[in-house]
Amino acid sequence: MADDNLLEVQDIHTFIGQFHILEGVTVAVPRGGITVLLGRNGAGKTTTLKSILGLTPPRRGKITLDGQELQGRRSFDIASLGIGFVPEHRAIFRDLTVEENLKLAERKKGDFARNEGFIFDLFPDLKRLIKLPGTNLSGGQQQMLALARALVPENQLLLIDEPSEGLAPVLIEQVMEAIRELAGETTILLVEQNFIVASRLAERYVIIEEGQSVRHGEMADLVGDQETIHRYLGAA
Amino acid sequence: MGEFRETLLKNRTRLIVLAALFLLFVSATQGMAREDWLITVLRGLSVGAVTFLVASGLSLILGLMDVLNLAHGEMFMIGAYVGWTVYVRPDTFVDVLTPVTLVAAGLALVPLWRALLARLQLPERLQQAWPWLSLGLGLLVLFFSLRLFPLAIWDPKLYAQSPITFSLALSQGLLTLPEPAGGGSLLLAIGGTLLGSILLGVAFAGFGSRSQRTAPQRIRWRPLLVAAALLVLALAIYLVNTPLTQWLFGMSTTWRFFIAMAVATLTGLILGALIEVTMIRPLYERPIYQLMLTLGISFIGIEIVRALWGRPEFTMPKPALFNGTGEGCPAESVGALLQNQCSTFMLFDGRVRTYNEIFVILVGVAVLVGVWLLLQRTRIGMIIRAGVQDREMVEALGINVRRVFTLVFALGVALAALGGILAAPSFGLSSDMGTRLLLLALIALAIGGLTSFPGAAAGAVLVGLIQQFIIKYGQIGISLPFLAEPFKPSPPLVPASTVLFMVIILLILPQGLFGRSE
Repeated sequence: MADDNLLEVQDIHTFIGQFHILEGVTVAVPRGGITVLLGRNGAGKTTTLKSILGLTPPRRGKITLDGQELQGRRSFDIASLGIGFVPEHRAIFRDLTVEENLKLAERKKGDFARNEGFIFDLFPDLKRLIKLPGTNLSGGQQQMLALARALVPENQLLLIDEPSEGLAPVLIEQVMEAIRELAGETTILLVEQNFIVASRLAERYVIIEEGQSVRHGEMADLVGDQETIHRYLGAA
Repeated sequence: MGEFRETLLKNRTRLIVLAALFLLFVSATQGMAREDWLITVLRGLSVGAVTFLVASGLSLILGLMDVLNLAHGEMFMIGAYVGWTVYVRPDTFVDVLTPVTLVAAGLALVPLWRALLARLQLPERLQQAWPWLSLGLGLLVLFFSLRLFPLAIWDPKLYAQSPITFSLALSQGLLTLPEPAGGGSLLLAIGGTLLGSILLGVAFAGFGSRSQRTAPQRIRWRPLLVAAALLVLALAIYLVNTPLTQWLFGMSTTWRFFIAMAVATLTGLILGALIEVTMIRPLYERPIYQLMLTLGISFIGIEIVRALWGRPEFTMPKPALFNGTGEGCPAESVGALLQNQCSTFMLFDGRVRTYNEIFVILVGVAVLVGVWLLLQRTRIGMIIRAGVQDREMVEALGINVRRVFTLVFALGVALAALGGILAAPSFGLSSDMGTRLLLLALIALAIGGLTSFPGAAAGAVLVGLIQQFIIKYGQIGISLPFLAEPFKPSPPLVPASTVLFMVIILLILPQGLFGRSE
């Protein structure tokens, strides 16, 4: 593989309990831009993200970030290398206020203060809601907060899981706008079910099918390839 | 405004239940004299405060770590017994300090062994066998060398007599403190203890390295420094043994009680951290094993207490600050109370016990406020609140949650231990005190909502109030409709009443008063 890849996932196998979820996933994420993981429900996209972070540590295979091996390390340690995680279902902390949610993500003192301007430019709504507990936010606002949380520390890679899931079309546009803007600053590995959203955001794709990465390439090539889309992603 | 209404509507069952409870307790004023009611409420709050100290830690640990610590009651008990020892038998306490510090010095080397081990890369079979060997050898060496220290705890007969008789005999010179060991056996004792605990440390490091394949770490020399400092401390304590004991015996019981509280809390803190790191941590993937483990620890705790302190129940004299009975007591005013340090004072013609009904409640409130501030105002508190909801996500933010686990477990055990020493002067000490209180705390948690901190406080207070009101009604009787004579609940109904109350609350609010449905 090319040396300029920021993240390299090589043939990882992950088990959850007795279940062999990932049976050989290989993903290369070059520096900058957006790479998307595509595939049907339950194909292992989310597990791939969690394996990178060590939340479901892979049993075999190799993962490197910027040349450093990640497997065997604890999650907090991996995240501290500069990986931001935006989980599916907008997993923000409901009992914490918006401000506390953001402050919690600090890795160094003053991280939030340093990036406050950038975050509130991107998500002006959050500034207004800063003192509200997370449980009072709407779905869209929660997604904004989950994204904003990943921007508090200096991250070199963002793992974003299903950002458009369950959002109204207007909000999807807003979230896509934000993600596109972020891609200018950092590298993003995205999981997205909605092929339209994925195709408009990402430059590269990896298709995962039944726990294996089966195809990868440039998004521009995939958009025209109806047969592949139909075969691996269902109706598009 | 609309938001406020919405909140009201969402919580209406909860609010109605709270209002009904409030009315219930207020209406109790009708059936009894005002001073009786007031004292019953104060007693309820006092029992509630002690229950809260156990329940709060239990709830924090359960919420953050998903560990139901069934040994929490025994931590309460150990706090009481350790505090009692410091308070009534400071000589034993000082004697024990030396070996305990020595063991700590030996165990402080664990991180060093772990780093060395990761370098060695021993063959698999050897790596599996030798920690057990080291453990067995270490325990054997410790067993024989600890016996060389002249500790009163090796002679349970001394404890069979009541503490009051013991202190009287001591002050009249009828009894002399055991002499510390000297000469050759001393060196053997100190060296043996150190060697034994080092072997134990090597074993722990071995077990630890087996469960996680760690990459070779840099060797840090700080553990060596810590161990050396502890060793010097142990020797220093040994050298000042007699003056320290005399100083502790000479001071007022009030100060000694505060020292006892501090020592009990600190013991809880260290014990909690040790249990978490060595026993709970390796079992995070196996919740059922954790439950069985804590149950086992609780049985072992009871047996240790029986072995070291004996089976008879103890009482513990109240500190001088709350034990005045001379002129001007019971106090009629706050000034007189403070001046005469009365054990009781008059409030609306009722006699209130200063220690039980004021001091215990004050400590409970102080802990409530302290922990609440910790949870709401500090980064650690933020991590705990976030972790109760989603540990994985906290970890994914780059926060070492396990370190916070250790802290919370230690803090919870420390609070329980503080509760133990606090309860000792009013309830006495026995080897089943922990089991009884754990039951009360679990009922309080179920009522309040298992993992809610305000819920733990509210549940504990409610359990205390119900219990005390039923006891009071057992004395004076309660007039019920359709009954010719006032109904007097018999003593066995007291524990039953709290359980019944829990059942009623759970039928109306399945998540408890402040619980949240997931």
